[in-house]
Amino acid sequence: MLKLDGAKWFVSIVRFNFVFLKKPIKMPKHLLALLLALFGHFYVLIAQEKYTLSGTVSEATSNETLIGVTIAVTELRTGTTTNEYGFYSLTLPKGEYRITVSYLGFQDIVETINLNKNLKKDFNLAEEAEELEEVVVTDDAERLDIRKPQMSVNTLAAQTIKQIPVVLGEADVIKSLLLLPGVTNAGEASSGFNVRGGATDQNLILLDEATVFNSSHLFGFFSVFNPDAIKDVKLFKGGIPARYGGRVSSVLEIFQKEGNSKDFKVNGGIGAVASRLLLEGPIKDERTAFLVGGRASYAHLFLPLFDVNNKAYFYDLNAKINHKINENNNIFLSGYFGRDLFSVNDKFVNTYGNAVGNFRWNHLFSEKLFSNLSLIYSDYYYGLELDFVGFEWDSGIQNFNLKYDLKHYLNDKLQLNYGIQNTYYVFNPGKIKPNSPSSGIVEEQLTKKYANENAIYLDVEHDLTEKLSVEYGLRVSQFNRLGQDEFYVYEDNNPVIFDPFTLVYREAQPIDTINPGRGGTLKKYLNLEPRVSASYNFNGKSSVKASYTRLAQYLHLLSNTSSPTPLDVWTPSGPFVKPQLLDQYAVGYFRNIKNGRYSFETEVYYKDIQNRIDYIDGANLIANNAIEQVILNGMARAFGIEFLLRKNEGRFTGWLAYTLSRSEQRTPGRDLGLDTGRSDLETGINLGEWYSTPYDKTHDLALFGSFDLNEKWNFNANFIFQTGQPTNYPIGQFEIEGVVVPYYGPRNKVRLPDYHRLDLSATLTPKRNQRKKVQSEWVFSLYNVYNRKNAASINFRENEDTGRREALRTSIFGIIPSVTYNFKF
Amino acid sequence: MKRFWIYVVVALTFISCEDVIDVELPEVETRLVVGGILKVDKSQEFVDVRIAMKETSSYFEDNQPTQVESAVIYYGRPTRDGLFESLSFSHLIEEEPGTGIYIPNSNFTEDQRIRTAYVEPGITFIMEITHKGRRYYARTDYAPAVPLDNLEQGDDTLFDDEETEVIVSFTDDPEAQNFYIFDFGFGEFQAVEDQFFNGQEFQFSYFYDSNLNVGQDVTVSIWGATEDFYNYMDLVVEQTTDNLGVFQTPVATVRGNVFDITGLDNIDIFDNVERPNDYALGYFAVSQVYSQTITIQ
Repeated sequence: MLKLDGAKWFVSIVRFNFVFLKKPIKMPKHLLALLLALFGHFYVLIAQEKYTLSGTVSEATSNETLIGVTIAVTELRTGTTTNEYGFYSLTLPKGEYRITVSYLGFQDIVETINLNKNLKKDFNLAEEAEELEEVVVTDDAERLDIRKPQMSVNTLAAQTIKQIPVVLGEADVIKSLLLLPGVTNAGEASSGFNVRGGATDQNLILLDEATVFNSSHLFGFFSVFNPDAIKDVKLFKGGIPARYGGRVSSVLEIFQKEGNSKDFKVNGGIGAVASRLLLEGPIKDERTAFLVGGRASYAHLFLPLFDVNNKAYFYDLNAKINHKINENNNIFLSGYFGRDLFSVNDKFVNTYGNAVGNFRWNHLFSEKLFSNLSLIYSDYYYGLELDFVGFEWDSGIQNFNLKYDLKHYLNDKLQLNYGIQNTYYVFNPGKIKPNSPSSGIVEEQLTKKYANENAIYLDVEHDLTEKLSVEYGLRVSQFNRLGQDEFYVYEDNNPVIFDPFTLVYREAQPIDTINPGRGGTLKKYLNLEPRVSASYNFNGKSSVKASYTRLAQYLHLLSNTSSPTPLDVWTPSGPFVKPQLLDQYAVGYFRNIKNGRYSFETEVYYKDIQNRIDYIDGANLIANNAIEQVILNGMARAFGIEFLLRKNEGRFTGWLAYTLSRSEQRTPGRDLGLDTGRSDLETGINLGEWYSTPYDKTHDLALFGSFDLNEKWNFNANFIFQTGQPTNYPIGQFEIEGVVVPYYGPRNKVRLPDYHRLDLSATLTPKRNQRKKVQSEWVFSLYNVYNRKNAASINFRENEDTGRREALRTSIFGIIPSVTYNFKF
Repeated sequence: MKRFWIYVVVALTFISCEDVIDVELPEVETRLVVGGILKVDKSQEFVDVRIAMKETSSYFEDNQPTQVESAVIYYGRPTRDGLFESLSFSHLIEEEPGTGIYIPNSNFTEDQRIRTAYVEPGITFIMEITHKGRRYYARTDYAPAVPLDNLEQGDDTLFDDEETEVIVSFTDDPEAQNFYIFDFGFGEFQAVEDQFFNGQEFQFSYFYDSNLNVGQDVTVSIWGATEDFYNYMDLVVEQTTDNLGVFQTPVATVRGNVFDITGLDNIDIFDNVERPNDYALGYFAVSQVYSQTITIQ
């Protein structure tokens, strides 16, 4: 029996994509050769008598699909895992097999299956009975997969995220990630996260496949994801498969729960910062389920601290409906809406947040070919009103995204993932308008920018031998910066002028303004992004993996601060701003100890990024209609070694993570191509020398432990130690017009004192009253137990009262206790 | 806009705690600092030329006055190719020995003072200084300003009741792209450009911190600025505003327009690219200034 539907599909997709692109991109000859070789290969492989076992694995009480469940075939010592939608497919030679379906924390299902025809089999896993000796806290998803070539991935289960003690007790996805090796941020009150020395705007954050542009609430104190609504969190730090693209450092993939399709359930919590409520249940029958969740912080959060009337709060809403049309079709509608509001005396009003809406359709073409179509709209909005200057300000980014992803399970040794993606962007750098008739502000819309990004990819997961597995793929991405209403033209095409005497970069004056209109193209980029990873496993217990990743990033967050602010705007690549290109090499050793009770992994990586933008001194990025005038293209590099030792089972679980790394960037002077016989026409930024990025932390150690004392009590602790952030001390000062101005030597040469702290938490689950349906839980937490004054910064200033100059250390959080109450029924 | 952002930061850092710590700073060589901002008051006959020559110091110490071997300002209206058909000179001399303040030299037979009547848009000023054997040069254009329409005290506050609101209004010149520097006294400045209010009557509030007393006079000045001087002052404000380390922009040495021309011969040395550490600090500008004063109620 021979089926080549995969090939057919791929060809039609490629065709479709060509139509979509209007202008066909020429497929490189070697790619075509590769494709032909691959499909030729399958022909041989598939030409035996084989049948397919496929289906979905879900949780028994809620029908919630489970991601990453292992389906093992004892006789063949092979198996597979369920995908993001709980689907699995295994193609095996005709025969009788013992199938084991296992997922940590759930009872195994062992079943004998006679595979003499294609078979559809759904499994429902039941949670393990809570006998104390076998209490298990980690999720199987967090387990180390020795065999798969995929490396540099960390998974966190929603349960783990909820256990990690955090400031003010608000369980937080991003703060939890910071405990993993290779993940840092620029400080306690900074938004976003940095992966392997990359910048915060280099993380692709996907919430149910939709891109989220800002992951922080309240300027970085909390993240935008409601922990109750989350099913699974996966962070790719390297070896990123070809289906992802558009950001060069990492992919954070978050899947929300689908909703319980058997029973109506409520869960929620009341915390020191925010309260949460989540409702889920079936609609009419088991085929349709919904989930609605909301979270809101208390308004006037900061009220007691000022006499004046101010507000600071955030909220987010998650909603999802899924409907099973039939065996082969599932649709999902989901949305996210989050806003922060910050106002001072109604004179300063600041609103911002993400909105995401998406429609997905899972379709099974056959038991071997799984597809998902996603139509996604997402936007990020930032608004500001300043009454005392008399204006309102709006800015943001909108995008419309179409993705069609296919997973083709050819046989137990070979899986193909391929698809197309297209995203259309509208960038609004800002619109200013008067907030009252008496305001002197003139309404102005900064020129909107438009772009289209598309990609096709093919990714092959291939077990070459029992020991050697490879995953290789290619992504072809194309970015089309579309025309806009006003576009500046510069002399010699150079928007930044360098003064060779004062050594100052300054903005060039445009010599002309053109109106290319939205229909045209300002600049096109095409990039081939090959991805390769391989794993060699020695005895099923340990393996060596290696990977190479190339990624292109076409969007840049304009941020010239140590950590991004909500006001920062995104800008597309174009004639002056080039796409960032990454090459990452990683090698690692992975080992499961004592049958997976413990796991150990270590990886070495090296990253090189071209075209990392940097800013001229004093660059004003806000309300700047000609951002090219303050930007220079530089480069970045990072390298390091990571260790992660994990205990996965038992009453005590946890991990120890350590990273030794460096992250630097450099912006040398440009060679403007002028024929002067001299190569050093400019000094560049920081005199063209490499300097540490603000998130360069040489040593980064994190220890997390969770202990189940008994059915009532669970204890958690984490300890963090990091080298202090790079900073600058003035080498002197000068006085101008009575202002004392510090001046500096080379950038980021000194460091803040080392950062360390210990956090504790305890969860009390009172014995469930059989008559009452409510199950409750108390979480007590203590952040920064020994009240360490960790420096967020050391600033130099003139004391306003004494007039004396002094060095001032700012520390953000001292010891902070909190209590959270959670319930479900 | 940057400045407004800082208000958010101030409010945010409520949880934070601050303490003064001891930090050891490296010793470095001193540099020449030129305090050369000439303020032109058209109601006076002469420009008040007072240029402060100092040397940089460690952050915790004060700059010390220094003496220069020579200091000359020459000025005129350049032709289209940037050359001058005629130039006027103002030779400078130290006002009192040891002060480092340089004023027009009255020992010359010709008057070395600069008449305000001559200072008009289109006039370029050049300054040359010799200090410790090195020669420095700066060039700037006269920048006119517009008068302040009104200055009054308001009763609003932004963050705490101790603040004093001062409402400043002025009418922007519609003819050109303008840059202004506002001097609020107490070493507080704000660089402003007219992008969003070109040609308009514009009003904004400035909030002084708690240190103003009833009966105290507050003077607000508007200075004209070239784009380059605007950039310079904007960077000075950015680099000296206390934003408590949150959303901090990268530190930078604020380089002005006074640069080292020692040995510039266009044969071996064309520019300063290969000697980036030979520079002076400070700025040379000629700005028209209007001021108003109110008494705090």
